[in-house]
Amino acid sequence: MSAEVQAPAPQRSWLARRSATQRTLAYSFVVVALLLAVGVILKPGILSGSSLRIIAELASFVGFVGVGQTLVFLLGGIDFSVVWVLNAAAILVVAQAAGHNSNLPVALVLTLGVGVVVGLANGIGVAYFSISPIVMTVGTNGIIQGLALGLSKGLTCSSCGAHPAPALTSALQGRIGGVPGVVLVWVGVILLISLLLSASTLGRRIYATGVNPAASYLAGVGVKPVTVSVYVISGLFAAIAGIMLVTFGGGASLGLGDPYLLESIAAAVIGGVSVLGGRGHYLGTVAGCLALIILVTILNAEQIPQYAREIVYGGVIIFIVLLYGREKRVT
Amino acid sequence: MSEDAVRSAVTDDVPQSGPESPAPGPDSALLEAAGISKSFGAVQALADGSLELRRAEVHALVGENGAGKSTLIKVLSGVTRADGGEVRVDGRPVRLDSPSAARRLGLGTVFQELSLLPWMTVAENLLIDQLPRGRAGLVRRRSLPSEAEKVLAHFGIETIDPREIPERLSLAERQVVEIVRALHRRPRILFLDEATASLPKHQVDWLFETIDRERSAGCCVVFTSHRWKEVEQIADRITVFRNGRKVATRPSLNESEAVTLMTGRRVGEIYPPRPRAQPDAPALLEVEDLHADGVDGVSFSLRRGEVLGIGGLAGQGQRELFLSLYGVRRPGGGKITVGGREQRIRRPADAIRAHIGIALVPEDRKGEGLLLPLPIRDNLTLPILRRLSTGGLVRRADERKLVEGLMDQLQIGGGRRPTEAVETLSGGNQQKVLVGRWLLAESEILLFYDVTRGVDVATKHDLYELIASLAAEGRGILLYSSDTDEIAHLCERVLVMREGRVARQLTGAEVDTEKIVAASVMEEVAANG
Amino acid sequence: MASRAVDRRGWWNYFAAQQATLLLAVIILIVTVLAYLGFYAAQFHHLPNSFAWDSTITNALPLVFVGVGQGIVVLTRGLDLSVSGTMDLTNGLAATHMHASLASMLGWTLIVLGVGAAIGLVNGLLVTVGRLQPIVVTIGTMSILQGAAAAILPEPGGSIPQAYTNVLGNTGSPVGLVFVALIIIAWLVLRRRPLGFALYAIGNDPQAAAANGLNVARARIAAYVLSGILAAAAGLFLAAGSSGGDATGGDSYLLASFAAVVLGGVSFRGGRGSMVGVVCGAGVLTVLVNVLFYAKVNSFYESFYQGLFLVGAVLLGLGVTAFTSRGRRGGAR
Repeated sequence: MSAEVQAPAPQRSWLARRSATQRTLAYSFVVVALLLAVGVILKPGILSGSSLRIIAELASFVGFVGVGQTLVFLLGGIDFSVVWVLNAAAILVVAQAAGHNSNLPVALVLTLGVGVVVGLANGIGVAYFSISPIVMTVGTNGIIQGLALGLSKGLTCSSCGAHPAPALTSALQGRIGGVPGVVLVWVGVILLISLLLSASTLGRRIYATGVNPAASYLAGVGVKPVTVSVYVISGLFAAIAGIMLVTFGGGASLGLGDPYLLESIAAAVIGGVSVLGGRGHYLGTVAGCLALIILVTILNAEQIPQYAREIVYGGVIIFIVLLYGREKRVT
Repeated sequence: MSEDAVRSAVTDDVPQSGPESPAPGPDSALLEAAGISKSFGAVQALADGSLELRRAEVHALVGENGAGKSTLIKVLSGVTRADGGEVRVDGRPVRLDSPSAARRLGLGTVFQELSLLPWMTVAENLLIDQLPRGRAGLVRRRSLPSEAEKVLAHFGIETIDPREIPERLSLAERQVVEIVRALHRRPRILFLDEATASLPKHQVDWLFETIDRERSAGCCVVFTSHRWKEVEQIADRITVFRNGRKVATRPSLNESEAVTLMTGRRVGEIYPPRPRAQPDAPALLEVEDLHADGVDGVSFSLRRGEVLGIGGLAGQGQRELFLSLYGVRRPGGGKITVGGREQRIRRPADAIRAHIGIALVPEDRKGEGLLLPLPIRDNLTLPILRRLSTGGLVRRADERKLVEGLMDQLQIGGGRRPTEAVETLSGGNQQKVLVGRWLLAESEILLFYDVTRGVDVATKHDLYELIASLAAEGRGILLYSSDTDEIAHLCERVLVMREGRVARQLTGAEVDTEKIVAASVMEEVAANG
Repeated sequence: MASRAVDRRGWWNYFAAQQATLLLAVIILIVTVLAYLGFYAAQFHHLPNSFAWDSTITNALPLVFVGVGQGIVVLTRGLDLSVSGTMDLTNGLAATHMHASLASMLGWTLIVLGVGAAIGLVNGLLVTVGRLQPIVVTIGTMSILQGAAAAILPEPGGSIPQAYTNVLGNTGSPVGLVFVALIIIAWLVLRRRPLGFALYAIGNDPQAAAANGLNVARARIAAYVLSGILAAAAGLFLAAGSSGGDATGGDSYLLASFAAVVLGGVSFRGGRGSMVGVVCGAGVLTVLVNVLFYAKVNSFYESFYQGLFLVGAVLLGLGVTAFTSRGRRGGAR
């Protein structure tokens, strides 16, 4: 009677019953495993404690920025302002604390506050004024860049060259059970964001909004507040990444955050997060961060010059998305 | 000018079958399609689509929503690629793998979803594939409007400015531009998919005159419409589709034969007994003098257990009424009382939480209803996440129990898990998810807006029973359908809308298809005459 | 049949509906230039001389060209992040290979433009045939191109023949204006080619464009190829202007090209805007630097004002668009 043939559910394979998100998540971890295998063949030392430690730490910096980029991607947006939020945060947390632990709490609050404010501005612009995310975040990136450079006089202010507060450095660079503090923080963030995406009401609303804002609105989702909160989270985590990075490099420097826009986007994309929204998970981005850093480690170990690394890097991104990031054929 | 006068004027002007138009005969098949099939995911839209078209005929393609007419037209226009089957034009097998391939064969189409370019001028839209070129092959942009004006005038349209952009035209005007564009390409076969749906009466007359003229010139016009009168008025032959297959092609059909062929049942058989509210049942929803964009002072009350029909021709403010009750459009004035409490509804979330809950089941299941790639579970519980969560985290066990219970109750999924994507379900099951969402939300007032569009008969039947049982449980239901029959069979009271107002209220024995149609059409005729 | 007279309005109304954002771009340019004149005159008590004008225009050239390329891609609802990499590479190629002979200069100009076209072709094919998102594709190619540029020119250096600088980067004669005029004329010609109409149609609605029989894939590829060629040309202007090469010299032009597109009034949702506007947008960004300089704003704050300007212009553009596209019948959808 019914023309709509119902595919018999029980016969479908295990993989076919997974969602697109779960499938690409699986692929991205396969990529990490393969790269690690290549690494072991070329350089057995890659599995040593110190090597793994540095991989995890470098991946964590991409991972912090990647939180925001992942969530923003899930809404079908993009955040270009992470670069200068990160830079500004690095400058602010160093300059405000001026190397003294007693100034640290205020410095941290101010720094995170900057991230939140920029995210808020982005979110309001995108959600309430329907400004294209690219335009809005390029604009705020410029604004925060000008402010950071202007107020720090091009990083020449007296306290700009200070070392980060000792307490901050020892907390994040100190090791607990051989694991750097930064990596432990990242593990916490991974758990938190996974919980947010998989188990929280906000996570459900983010996916729904990313898939179809009109239908989500009709189902009672506050599409605009959800959008604003996602950009706020993105700004916040870009600032966190800035704080983490100053402890790693021992100070703020211009151009500190420049690579992280590209890398956070690449990590999310390799992790199977769709830039069109609604598909992907932070765990995929985590796999993407690890894949990128393992790739760089292998290229370093093979003493491949910097320029060739960039070429391989770009090639690998395109190759991986050709494998599992293609859009469905229309019709 | 009366309708008859228009038609006689046309028949005087244009010879019905001039010597230049070849005599239609069995040999002169212009196009033959056989065994066309097409699936979208789990849904087979077309199983065995066949069609035979001749020169100089108007061929009506009829069938229920979801019977496969539009899919067949899309395949024949080169927009959708068929999974299987064969198409012959002039007896030769052809490949229709792009719209331009179809165009080269002389197949032109006016699609159901408008395909105008919203920010390019009407002139650019009309002439996009035959732009007037001047020196060095450059397009003479300045002469575009006058060229387009000539084209429009040629087809008798003088009320549309070619310099305007479609964004600023009315729906009917956009439809006219779309039709003129297809005609201007001089197709040998012209497909009109629901081309009259958004046209007012005088423009339908214009379209029929034009179709007549095209037929006389030897063109074959394929026509779909859900208005039976139009089919009877203009079609030379009628092909009936049901469940993705061709059922019959006949030179003429009366309406009841057609319904039997289209549904495979007799009229009335598919409807459950009409639900009735207790005469003294309390009012769930009271609307007083509601004003909004397109709604001009509507008042009514909906009682517990009642199915209240909203009738009338398409586009008379029904959609706007539903959207403003649900908070999508801000009302410009009036009072909405829900379960005895006056409520301000500014967004859907307000409606969902308004005292006893208002819910909207939209027509466009894919665009406005479901989140297709997301799990069945997420789709069902989206409106009640607040209730199902503690500290921002979803209580998974509670949710699972609720969702599984509902999937059992409505027989959703045929053994699928709640975590599988909604898009793997058939259309009927998807529709049940959409209604089921509001059962979980315990909404007592349900707004059903044309929910049986694109749904097969079996599922329609299920939906009717569901509506009846929801009413029997004491919910109040506001029902709009583009299929007046449904309103007639499910509602005990019908408000017929015209131009944003309630033109007439029909109750009890007055509620039948003819009377509803009469109430919406006769006043229209009266207003025009 | 009831005949209703066409609601005829003046050409101004139609122009405003379609070109409001272009008009806004021109107005913003005029205001910026006036501000420049004001601050300049306040400081020197005379108006800028021809050298000041010529050098401003020459400075604007790389951004004008890369911006128009970006704008064409944006018009089709795409995005080209690789333009900065293309500029790096072409800039490096010119600085390392070009000699002071006419054959070399002409030959390498053509080779460089050809390289740009090839880059665009790869981007376009990956986006259309590969069915990948433009942003992902062009981030990948950007990285590859930056690597290639660094391989060719590991450190800033190389040289550009003086004769070449005299043509492309001359600050002593209004030759820059000729190039601006050339790109505007080229755009106006493209706008009157079927390809020009196709670019707009795709940006309006790719599916409707396909249903109208346009070859969507071909036009999208063409957009990326044009963007590649124009970015390559921008790289040449950059090299000529600085009389030497820098393999990272193009990097700052990525976000600037977006800014020029936005200030030019091209919608990032595609299908609306004019490249004449983008030329104005590039002009605004260049003159704005002068304004800030003569207004004695610390150069560290430059990007602050640019960002503010950008967001402000977008808001203004949205307001104007919302105002002019209100239908006669209002709320038709």
